[in-house]
Amino acid sequence: MSTKLSSTERIKTDSKGLRGTLKESLLDEHTGALREDDQVLIKFHGMYQQDNRDRREERAAKKLDRLYSYMIRLRLPGGFLTPEQWIAVHEIAGQHTTGVIKITTRQTIQLHGILKAKIKPTIKAFNEAILDSIAACGDVNRNVVAAAYPSQSAVHRTVHQLADKISAYLKPKTSAYYEIWLDEEKIIEKEETDELYEDRYLPRKFKVAIAVPPNNDVDVYTNDVGLIAIVEAGEIKGYNIAIGGGMGSTHGNSATYPRLATPIGFVDNEEKALKAVYEIATIQRDYGNRSDRKLSRLKYTVDQYGLDFFCDELERRMGFALETTKEVIFTTRADEYGWQQTENGTWTYTLFTENGRLLDEGDVQLKTAIYEVAQTGKANIRFTCHQNLSLCDIALPDKPVIEALLKQYGAIAHTEQASVVRKQAMACVAFNTCPLALAEAQRYMPALISSIEQLLHQYALDDEEIIMRMTGCPNGCARPYAAEIGFVGTAYGRYNVYLGADRAGTRLNKLYRESQDEAAILALLDNLFKQYSEQRLPGEAFGDFSLRAAWV
Amino acid sequence: MITTERNTVLQQLVSGASHDELVWISGYLSGLLGQQPNRAVLPHSASLNITLAYGTETGNSKALAHKLAALGKRQKHKMKVVALDQYKPTQLAGEALFIAVVSTQGDGDPPIAAQRFFDYLIQEQPDLAGLQFAVLALGDSSYPRFCQAGIDLDQLLRQNKATRVQKPLLCDTDYESAAIAWFDQLLTGLGDPDGQSVPPMLANAPAGPAKKVYAGGITRHINLNDRGSDKATYHIEIAAPGIAYQPGDALALVPENPATLVEDLLALTGTYATQEVSYRGQQRPVYTLLQKELNISWLPERVVAAYAAIVQQEIPETKIGLKDLLKIYPLKAPAQFEEVLQVLEPMAPRQYSIASSPAAHPGEIHLTVALDTFSVAGEVRHGLCSHYLSLQEDSVLSFRIHTNNRFRLPPENKDMIMIGPGTGIAPFRAFLNERDADGAIGRNWLFFGDRNFTTDFLYQTEIQSWLETGLLSRFNAAFSRDQEEKIYVQHRMEEHGAELYKWLGEGAYLYICGARVPMAADVEATLLRIIARESGESTEAAQQFLEQLETEGRYLKDVY
Repeated sequence: MSTKLSSTERIKTDSKGLRGTLKESLLDEHTGALREDDQVLIKFHGMYQQDNRDRREERAAKKLDRLYSYMIRLRLPGGFLTPEQWIAVHEIAGQHTTGVIKITTRQTIQLHGILKAKIKPTIKAFNEAILDSIAACGDVNRNVVAAAYPSQSAVHRTVHQLADKISAYLKPKTSAYYEIWLDEEKIIEKEETDELYEDRYLPRKFKVAIAVPPNNDVDVYTNDVGLIAIVEAGEIKGYNIAIGGGMGSTHGNSATYPRLATPIGFVDNEEKALKAVYEIATIQRDYGNRSDRKLSRLKYTVDQYGLDFFCDELERRMGFALETTKEVIFTTRADEYGWQQTENGTWTYTLFTENGRLLDEGDVQLKTAIYEVAQTGKANIRFTCHQNLSLCDIALPDKPVIEALLKQYGAIAHTEQASVVRKQAMACVAFNTCPLALAEAQRYMPALISSIEQLLHQYALDDEEIIMRMTGCPNGCARPYAAEIGFVGTAYGRYNVYLGADRAGTRLNKLYRESQDEAAILALLDNLFKQYSEQRLPGEAFGDFSLRAAWV
Repeated sequence: MITTERNTVLQQLVSGASHDELVWISGYLSGLLGQQPNRAVLPHSASLNITLAYGTETGNSKALAHKLAALGKRQKHKMKVVALDQYKPTQLAGEALFIAVVSTQGDGDPPIAAQRFFDYLIQEQPDLAGLQFAVLALGDSSYPRFCQAGIDLDQLLRQNKATRVQKPLLCDTDYESAAIAWFDQLLTGLGDPDGQSVPPMLANAPAGPAKKVYAGGITRHINLNDRGSDKATYHIEIAAPGIAYQPGDALALVPENPATLVEDLLALTGTYATQEVSYRGQQRPVYTLLQKELNISWLPERVVAAYAAIVQQEIPETKIGLKDLLKIYPLKAPAQFEEVLQVLEPMAPRQYSIASSPAAHPGEIHLTVALDTFSVAGEVRHGLCSHYLSLQEDSVLSFRIHTNNRFRLPPENKDMIMIGPGTGIAPFRAFLNERDADGAIGRNWLFFGDRNFTTDFLYQTEIQSWLETGLLSRFNAAFSRDQEEKIYVQHRMEEHGAELYKWLGEGAYLYICGARVPMAADVEATLLRIIARESGESTEAAQQFLEQLETEGRYLKDVY
């Protein structure tokens, strides 16, 4: 193994607690970009520097620099906002961003198109609503996700609180965020020691999810650390712990691969679960690969050192042993759309927002609908890992008012009329802002689904909950390797096609065909749907059939 | 000199007169001559008390006034030089000999700095009997109302009973030797003061490169503003092999009127395109005259008045084009059109500071042209010349080089501070490229400003590479409309006032290019504030500091 540290490692350790030269970068008047090292550091503050890739050529001809802007992502454990916070987010989105509120695949939201000069006002406005973007990106513990449904049960309340605790426990200790973005005084004398992150942070991103069976809406096994609540008689008895999940791979690099997390044991209380997550992070900090960022996720550390070593080291660091993994059955990953009554009698309405893009378009004015609902103060907001939005904690007497507003702005019709496959599908951002994108995703997937819907209709498969996901590159933000049909961009207009994951997210798919264009994709799907409709067993899911038919 | 009729009488009188009679007549005439009022004859080679007052826009009049004062001093005359905006007009009555050096702006107007003085003469009509004066007028003969401010000043002073000692000299762009000769003549008392019937002297501009008309094809034509901008600023590259110019010079261009407009006029008046007409003594087809020579888009009030006289109608004083005029106040007869043509004025050339460097862009001239957009009666209209240029891709332009020796690079080891918002950046692009090509070692600091960072940052990538290579030591930009409060270049100067003052103290040259109002005025006010603050001295001392810079040729403006 090469011992030469990657350049990102140097940037982190030299950053003086993630400060770098960010303050100076913000003052550079000749460019909308940050200085090179600061472009890395700003991720740890929850932002990405991006540029409008559609406009590069034309602007270059005009002697204008790339149109740089920033994406800001909130740290929102469990994906929860009060109506007051939603109003603040809505108004902030209306000021210095593209206006679209984007719900991510990790239960938070991000805003795009913020110019360098508008970052500080944006963060200040978030701060006033008690929202921050600390560690939403970067080599740190990312937004902690937790089962969204049904949000009112005591069990769910507990996992949401656990998500908050993990997020706080693994939050970087530096006060750089407050100094740089909120102009708070630097506390010079106070030594900022960060026992978890030290000065080097983690080798790579670190994702934690908490699931409540039987719904695997959080895609728990795709995370570095998965906690699976073991519920008996309506009470959480503890958590199964799974480690080493991760979607990213690199085209043409066989050393990289997507991997589902491996269950390693059970802990019987929340304190132990917290301790386990923390020490898994310290092992990854100490053993993770810091010379090749393509091989630095926890999954590679686990595979390199072996599960036995990892578990021994973990138990040593925790000071207690893991118990045997409990049996768990997941049956679905689907969001529960529409009205649902929860155990305590309140109501939830889950709204379909295609690829999480919340905006007003024609008769479907989702953004206005949610804003109006928030104005009533009668519903909280929770995001799902499928990029949807739930209005929750609604008392029965308030239900008609909210229903009327949702109807008025076309939200109910939009949710009800969307096809089953469309409602299961996900796509990442890709063009025009993601610097990694090789192919389109969220701008293209809706149209592709329209064509696929026609094929499904031909074979009377309209009601099949086939999970389809698309990403513009192999890094896997929309978790395409855990989809029954996965599309991963290889070049503009071309996708690798993957088949064979299961519906509950416990099995990865496999590569079926490489670099297919739209005509080829539709032709191959036509053939597959035909066979599936003719030969499947009763209730057999498409992913399962794909294996049985030996397509992959 | 004398009419035939009078000559006949005189011949009758003297023919056959005796010697004594002739002596008497001669003495009588001498006596008459001695009694004539307002006949100034300057005492030959005596020491004169002269006030030289200048009204300047670009600094040319000021520089010339100082030069003439130095000449006068060498000949032992007492010389005082004063700016017209500083001069108390009530002092006029006490002046011995008052010489005004004034330039002409825009449509025959005096410089802003001289306006108050003109207004005083018009409104107060002071009795200036006893004041002796002469006017030296600066202008550019490419413009229709050449040296008009000087001509007007001469007339105003005479109307107020002042005595002219010498005819005004109307100076064209290359004026120095003619101006010195005129001044010498005045000092030696040989000047001819004669008035109304004699036209003012024209300083003969040699037909040098300044007046030569070139043709060059447009090779590149880019709108520098991004989509979504409410502005359009064109970077235009013109092939100019062998054309000599220097950084700081301008290109003067006579636009063509749009063919559709010319055709409309011909249709409205029932005139054939090929019809030959006479204009100012020359015959040419009416189409050529209308398209290439006459101002027909926005007529000055005096032209509208002349038109009103021809069609014998009341026409309100307003900015109007010939087409609208013909439509709303039609001609009484088609034949009147030729009369109308006679009252129209030639199109004035437009000047654009050259944005390229002869050393860095050999054989090319680059311009930075903002499309002039304004609204008339709620309709969006464009300035003729900038609109003309904005449409000219792959076409050939006719132009002159307008030399501007008042706006030149400093010595190669001197630092340079450039303040050039908007199209004001043009000459600095030339300066920086020239310095880069020459390897000049002086430091460079550029201030740029415009409306919006994302859409209006002219030459952004070039500026970035100048920063990367170190050609620019410092750069500051202000974008006025990116935030609620307006931020302009002067605000950035203020933020970096200490450093700016330090540069000046170390001998830096300071240049301003762009809009005269309000930019240049605001920038100057800010400069004075910075100087006063950083030096800890009074505003007066700051003013003197800036004047000293100007005298040393270190504070230069190209404003419009």
